[in-house]
Amino acid sequence: MNRRRSGTGLGIPFWLGVIFLVFLLVFAVVGPGLRHDPLIAVADKHLAPSALYWLGTDEQGRDVFARLAQGARISLMVGFIVQAISLIVGTTVGIIGVFGPRWIGQPLLRLTDAMFAFPDILLAILIIGVWGMGMTPVIAALAITAWPAVARLVKTQAAMLNEREFVIASKALGASTWWNVTRHVVPHLMPLLAAVAMVEVAGTILGESALSFLGIGVQPPNPSWGSMINSARAEMNSHPMLLLWPCLILSLTVFALNFVGDGLRQRLDPRHR
Amino acid sequence: MPSEAKFSQPLVTRLLGRLGAGLLSVLFVALVTFIADELAPGDAVLAIAGEKARPEIVEQIRKEYGLDKPVPERFVSYVGNAIRGDFGQSYFGTREQVTDIIKRSLPITGMLATWALVVALVIGVFLGTLAALKENLWPDRLALAISTLGVTVPNFVLIPILVLIFVLKMDMLPLTWETPMRAHLVYYLVLPVVVLAARPLAVLTRLTRAAMVDTLQMQFMQFARAKGVPAGKRAIEHGLRHALPPIVTAAGTTFGYLLTGSFITETAFTIPGLGKAAIDAIKKRDTPTVMGIAIVTAILYVTVNLIVDLLQPLLDPRLRESQV
Repeated sequence: MNRRRSGTGLGIPFWLGVIFLVFLLVFAVVGPGLRHDPLIAVADKHLAPSALYWLGTDEQGRDVFARLAQGARISLMVGFIVQAISLIVGTTVGIIGVFGPRWIGQPLLRLTDAMFAFPDILLAILIIGVWGMGMTPVIAALAITAWPAVARLVKTQAAMLNEREFVIASKALGASTWWNVTRHVVPHLMPLLAAVAMVEVAGTILGESALSFLGIGVQPPNPSWGSMINSARAEMNSHPMLLLWPCLILSLTVFALNFVGDGLRQRLDPRHR
Repeated sequence: MPSEAKFSQPLVTRLLGRLGAGLLSVLFVALVTFIADELAPGDAVLAIAGEKARPEIVEQIRKEYGLDKPVPERFVSYVGNAIRGDFGQSYFGTREQVTDIIKRSLPITGMLATWALVVALVIGVFLGTLAALKENLWPDRLALAISTLGVTVPNFVLIPILVLIFVLKMDMLPLTWETPMRAHLVYYLVLPVVVLAARPLAVLTRLTRAAMVDTLQMQFMQFARAKGVPAGKRAIEHGLRHALPPIVTAAGTTFGYLLTGSFITETAFTIPGLGKAAIDAIKKRDTPTVMGIAIVTAILYVTVNLIVDLLQPLLDPRLRESQV
């Protein structure tokens, strides 16, 4: 693909994405505590936007701005915790699959393949189904479905790195496997994993929103963009704005994370060059 | 052919390997849900009997449901019963057999999935082919825009938007499933099928375009042109025929995904299919129903993927003689 290689910069979508994500982060950190409590009714129902309630109030008289911000906080938190777990588990499994002893590496890689046999959301829903609802099961379910992709990526990349001259040279000099993995392989994988994690965070946020939309994710009174969309459906004919805001912020977040992740990946992933 | 036995041998091995892997995957899903249930806080027996039930009643129910036996024993007996098609009884309501719940809801989900796949395939392959033939012209741009939207806009955002337009503003279609139905079944199917088809349509459009762009550059396409085959016939009989295997693979995966992935659509439109049954059961913590549906959907998913795998040699003659 010549077109991709011709540009050396990261492109406008990338920077728009970065700017949006910075705003979102600020919004998530300061937004919930800025004006009103997001969890309780602070005024009458369905107030129009005003200087006091910037985006108006919802069907229970809660401040929409504060709830969106709290939803952002929850979404980002779930997204990053899940990806942190998935990166740690996936990298460990992938590395063991390549460098570890066969008796433990092979079963782990088979397990990774078995995890791929099912649609992510199905497994997440089933885990929550038997575990129960709440924040911990949501994070656990999404993390369990997220790590196999990382493990597979790390496995293929680590196997390639293992053949590279600097690793072979290091081996020839008598370095241990542990040394090679921690000093050569993992540091080499870091930038790529960061880029992939960005895109994966978007998937996780969508997953959390889907679960919350179904009513089996983040539980009330805590808001999630997904549960806000679901509850806004009841009165969307008379109050479409309540539906618009969470849909908009969710879509923009997913777009932004994809733009940034793709931009980084095109730079860092050798397969994209 | 004297060498036929030699060629069919790897295929049989491959088939058995795939079957074994599929069975392992199903067993794995059963195990994961079973373990998650064991780790779960709270006691299923208390959920059935009520928090304030007397201890002797609680113990009686525990015995009745076999919940007093050790975990490995219960798992083995569960799998044993499941093989015979018995997933136990629901904890709640009339304590319906889980098998009956599945028999009742699976045909509805199957119908939705089939229609969604048909819509996605017809439009996706058409758009993808058109985009490839008009590469970098406006039909290509249009197909790209549609597929980008289809991939990025999640179902639960698409549903309220469509409902707002077609149900609430234009009053053309019914909002939810009704029994008995007040209109023809088609009216009830339009929105759910459109929502379900959106993502597969986008994926199939992209895939068809990519496969066709590659195919169009092949020498046999130039040869067909030189030979004087008309453009339309060339695109379909030569081009699409060659681009077919990856499209069929994706369609199969999509069908498996649709059979399991309609939780959101079925819940939003209150369609009494497998997805809604699962979500209802989850909200009640009706573990036998959840596990039964989990295992059945896992079997469906694995079976569909297996069939797609077996179709490949039929579509691609080169695979028939390959040793892989």
